[in-house]
Amino acid sequence: MSKQEEILAKLKEAVVEYEEDDCAAAAQEALDEGIDPMVAVMEGLAAGMEEVGVLFDTNEYFVPEVLMCADALYKGLDILRPHIKLDIDAPKASVVIGSIQGDVHDIGKNLVKMMFDVAGWDVYDLGRDVPLEEFVKKQLDVKSDVLAMSAMMTTTMMGMKKVIAMVKEKNPDCLIMLGGAPVTRDVANLFGADGYAESAGNAVSEGIKMIGRLREFQKGDIK
Amino acid sequence: MSELTGKERVKKLFKREPLDVMPCFSGQGAVVVQAIEKMGTQFAKIHTDARLMAESAITSARLFNMDGVVIPYDMAVVAEAMGRGISLYEDTEGIIYPTVPNKWKTLDEIDIPKDYMTRGRLPMVDEAFKIIKEEAPDLAVGAWVLGPFTLAGQIMELDILLKGLKKHKEQIANFLDEVTTITIDMCKHYEDLGVDFINVREMGSGTDLLSPRMWKTLIGPNLTKVFDSITKVPSVNHICGSTDMIIEMMHGCGADALSVDQKNNIVETRKKLGNDVLLFGNFDPYNTLTQLENVKDVENVIKECIDNGIDSVWPGCDIWPDIKQENMEAYVKTVREYGKKPSPAVGRL
Repeated sequence: MSKQEEILAKLKEAVVEYEEDDCAAAAQEALDEGIDPMVAVMEGLAAGMEEVGVLFDTNEYFVPEVLMCADALYKGLDILRPHIKLDIDAPKASVVIGSIQGDVHDIGKNLVKMMFDVAGWDVYDLGRDVPLEEFVKKQLDVKSDVLAMSAMMTTTMMGMKKVIAMVKEKNPDCLIMLGGAPVTRDVANLFGADGYAESAGNAVSEGIKMIGRLREFQKGDIK
Repeated sequence: MSELTGKERVKKLFKREPLDVMPCFSGQGAVVVQAIEKMGTQFAKIHTDARLMAESAITSARLFNMDGVVIPYDMAVVAEAMGRGISLYEDTEGIIYPTVPNKWKTLDEIDIPKDYMTRGRLPMVDEAFKIIKEEAPDLAVGAWVLGPFTLAGQIMELDILLKGLKKHKEQIANFLDEVTTITIDMCKHYEDLGVDFINVREMGSGTDLLSPRMWKTLIGPNLTKVFDSITKVPSVNHICGSTDMIIEMMHGCGADALSVDQKNNIVETRKKLGNDVLLFGNFDPYNTLTQLENVKDVENVIKECIDNGIDSVWPGCDIWPDIKQENMEAYVKTVREYGKKPSPAVGRL
């Protein structure tokens, strides 16, 4: 095993085993050894999170473990991200994300946010219990590529329909993702959204699948 | 023989005595916009005024011939009484339930006031129960409380709580013990108010979030204490989300009935628990009552619940208040007609 492979394996393991300190140490080691930080993020941290997704899908890990894995991932990401070289000519993708008004839960939202952070997007996190007009205002302001909203409870998800209508009217190209326990693909279609994640659980699976796609993209496996 | 009143029907159901027909009621919020409109009020106002809360509950039940009512409508009542604040969204158009804006962020910050029972909206809720009992003596009166874990997630940040289950096991276990006494106090309080049943909703503890092992060690024992404490009225153990892996442990907690949502495989649950257990559920209220375009489809959803072995068809969660009138009517009508035959745990007169 090369030194690079060894460090990437450490990063991956630290995420899977939710060892925050180990993850930070491995991230620093990656920088010290001159490993491309983007490779460390995608082949170390993101690869670890993909494995977490498998453990979650097979009922080995549940949400508490996944949250701790995410904390470990961020410890590494915080160290690696400042060193990732940006292509100044390429426009950076951006997302506006938040939990809808009436919803004070943000676990699902934060897990999806992690996926965008890993991918290096500009993330505008509006937090939770966000009034509808704030989503619209921010999206129109920053003209984000994606607007991602979550509502954990049935009782709050009707608000998403209004936001989608307002954003799509002014900015039809914006992709809209919905997530949250009560949202189904039917509801997402009904509201005119472009994607969905069914629950905090599915947000994990969906988010991780998206990370997987990003990694394939990075390697040139998909165009 | 004259028809049973709603209250009589529900009481008999819990005793598993023969009934004329399957009861139609819920332990989850069942207030509907048709009632709110008839009263000329707004959704945001029915959470803070005893008369409006009581009247909206009674009117909702009367409009659709339901057998009972259940209040309060939101899950923020106890957290608010503990000083965590309340967001009522009074200036917002549409239906938004009250939420808790200021949850405790760490275990060290938690300071539960001794007199919380007399704070916030809790005295107003008591008054609403009194009005309902006086003005609708024929209806079953249900109260609901949050189970200890879900209540803990209302008063402190959920992600901190969830991670704490792994990282700070002992402290979280102690905190859950403390919250369990609050759930018990609330149950005893509602018992003393003379409600007809209590639904304990431990809705944040399904296996979408927690492992069965964690459920067994941290959720089940506390729920058992809660159900042991409810001695004067029947109790229901309700959990929404994925419950197939924990249904036997739920049963072991000692409630008089179990309630689950549409994610539960009722046929399998029946096989596991047998026919003596009262089982409520398990249709998706949002899809069934607000989305389905054809009342035949609503009928089929309700019939499937009954065919699978449900003793009382309950929505899996709060009814989204903006129901289609015809869908709600089809729900109740199908329960009454298709529910004439005995259910697994309850015979017919």
